[in-house]
Amino acid sequence: MSNREEILNKIRDAIVNLDIDNIQRLCEEALKAGIPAYEIVMNGMSKGMEIVGEKYERNEYFLAELIMAGEVMKEGMKVLEPHLKGGEVKKIGKVVIGTVRGDLHDIGKNIVATLLSAAGFEVIDLGVDVPPEKFVEAVKEYRPDIVGMSALLTTTMIEMENVIKALKEAGLRDKVKIIIGGAPVTKEFAEKIGADAAARDAVEGVNICKSWMEQK
Amino acid sequence: MVELKAPEYLLKERMERVEKTIGLGEPDKVPLIIFTCGDILRKYATGYELYFNYDKAREASIRFVIDYPTDVFLAALAAEGFIFALAFSDYPDIAPSVRFWTGPMHDTLGDKYTKWPGRELPEDSIFQFIGGQFMDTNEYDKFSENPVAFVNEVILPRACMNLEKPCSSRANASLIRLGFEVSRYLKFLGDSAADLARVGIPSLPLTFAYAPLDFIGDFLRCPTGALLDVRRHPDKVKQACEAMVEPIIKVALSLKPAGAKYAFIPLHLNEYLSPKLYNEFYWPTLKKVIVSLYEQGIRSLVFFEGWHDAHLETILELPKGWGVAYFEKTDVKKAKKILGGHTCIMGGIPPSLLLEATPDKIKEYVKGLLSEMKPGGGFILSPGVADIPRAVPRENLVALIEAVEEYGRY
Ligand code: B1M
Repeated sequence: MSNREEILNKIRDAIVNLDIDNIQRLCEEALKAGIPAYEIVMNGMSKGMEIVGEKYERNEYFLAELIMAGEVMKEGMKVLEPHLKGGEVKKIGKVVIGTVRGDLHDIGKNIVATLLSAAGFEVIDLGVDVPPEKFVEAVKEYRPDIVGMSALLTTTMIEMENVIKALKEAGLRDKVKIIIGGAPVTKEFAEKIGADAAARDAVEGVNICKSWMEQK
Repeated sequence: MVELKAPEYLLKERMERVEKTIGLGEPDKVPLIIFTCGDILRKYATGYELYFNYDKAREASIRFVIDYPTDVFLAALAAEGFIFALAFSDYPDIAPSVRFWTGPMHDTLGDKYTKWPGRELPEDSIFQFIGGQFMDTNEYDKFSENPVAFVNEVILPRACMNLEKPCSSRANASLIRLGFEVSRYLKFLGDSAADLARVGIPSLPLTFAYAPLDFIGDFLRCPTGALLDVRRHPDKVKQACEAMVEPIIKVALSLKPAGAKYAFIPLHLNEYLSPKLYNEFYWPTLKKVIVSLYEQGIRSLVFFEGWHDAHLETILELPKGWGVAYFEKTDVKKAKKILGGHTCIMGGIPPSLLLEATPDKIKEYVKGLLSEMKPGGGFILSPGVADIPRAVPRENLVALIEAVEEYGRY
């Protein structure tokens, strides 16, 4: 195994083992060894997130581990970001994501956003309590392939329909695929409001987004 | 379907039904309990009215139970405020009265934990618990040394705008105002219970406790912060959880002289944790609280929020008949296979069913569910405290009540 590979594997493992205390040091070492930042993201951290996702699917990891892995990745990104030149990392697609108006739950949405970035998507995260207008503006500005919405409250789920209506009114509905998620969201609900898919969990969400990009 | 019985008779019959079930017996009929934080009551009043106008709130509750009579109806028209109860845990006359946080109390102290309709939110919404980070990781030791003092002296001044400067005229005035408000609130609670009793609906004699790790997630470090701390500062987290056990038990026991029999404990971080983390950081101190209360004559009513599937077996570590396991997403049929005969199980109605199904579908669902859950007793039917959304059609709620009547008899 080359030195390069070894360092990247260590970074991958740091994510898998949730080693928040060493991730920055490892990323710095990798940069020093001359590994480009984008490669560290794609072949180190993202590989790690992929394994974390698989462990979650197998019930080996729980939400706590998903959240922690996301935080470890964030720490690593702090070191790598200044070295990531625009366009250097080949993105497989663009996603605008947010938690809908009236809803402040962002733990699930953040996991989805982290896993999407790790899978190679450019993610524009609009945050929480996002009104329909803001989704529309973001679609105009960033021209994403996919719009993702999250809602955890039965009282805010209906906001998803409002976003879809607003996108229709702005003539943008056909330009994007729409995926929704969050505990109360069902496939039937997605169908009813005219979304393209509902994801049960973050891993399924990312797989759906990936499959859409492959079909493109 | 209207039961033509005198209210006093109904009151007794319903309470016996519930108590027998909690005691793992077979009652005459499966009890149906509805909990709400107000969403469904917005059929009768705006969110603002429910939380800021006690008369309107009483009226809405009474109209609800007349339209939808159940064995117990519990409206907590107030936000999660256990930190205030803990702050006053040395004063049993005060602690339970500030355990739930009302809209007017929010006005009085300016807490940053909650948002309210007509204040930070549109008039007709439900209140929101937001939580936040009010403690740094390097403060765990200080907290653990004396949680009650630390909450009073450090956390509340950070978390409540009007208590920012302890001992200032403003802070003192706010506390006096809080006292006035508490009196009004207690009167409202008493009046509401009497209203319900008049139509034959009993109130559960409740008191309150908390899971120590949830306290950290909800009031001190926010959920994500608490989870990271579990990883980065495991010993500090454990120590802090241990330190909270005693004041939490004190809060719960404060209502015992007034007749409280059941400690309501809503859980939050349970589903986040793998069995390993759950058994190391969450369960030991929660178990201490539950067992200690049981030994002192108080059973617990634990709301196992989210999926509790991975931790079901741990419930068997509690003494048989310890209380009620109230499930949100965990399949109650699966829970019964593990806990039947040991623990009273509550739940079974997902909000999506009430929201999306037809009355016939609901009846069919309840029939199927009860055919498995009824035998042997020890089962209470209930939607989660997750709230029945206002958008639930009237006929669906009626179908739920009728279904218990049709399929719930022993
Ligand atoms: C775009 O594509 C996709 C694809 C997949 C997507 C996706 C998008 N989004 C999600 N997914 C999927 O992937 C994720 C990972 O697999 C999953 O994401 P989830 O988001 O579902 O799952 C997360 C990873 C973990 N789950 C969570 O993060 C939610 C956990 C619970 C405990 C919860 C939390 C933590 C909080 N809460 Co709130 N909270 C509860 C929750 C009860 C529970 N145990 O579920 C729930 C959701 N809360 C509820 C309520 C009522 C509220 N909460 C409130 C507040 C809060 C906190 C702020 C304290 C905190 C949120 C912290 C935060 N920053 O997010 C209030 C509202 C605030 C607001 N305006 O949003 C308040 C209204 C409480 C109150 N009365 O004050 C209930 C909703 C009831 C309902 N059905 O409407 C609730 C079910 C609790 C309950 N049992 O009553 C999938 O759904």
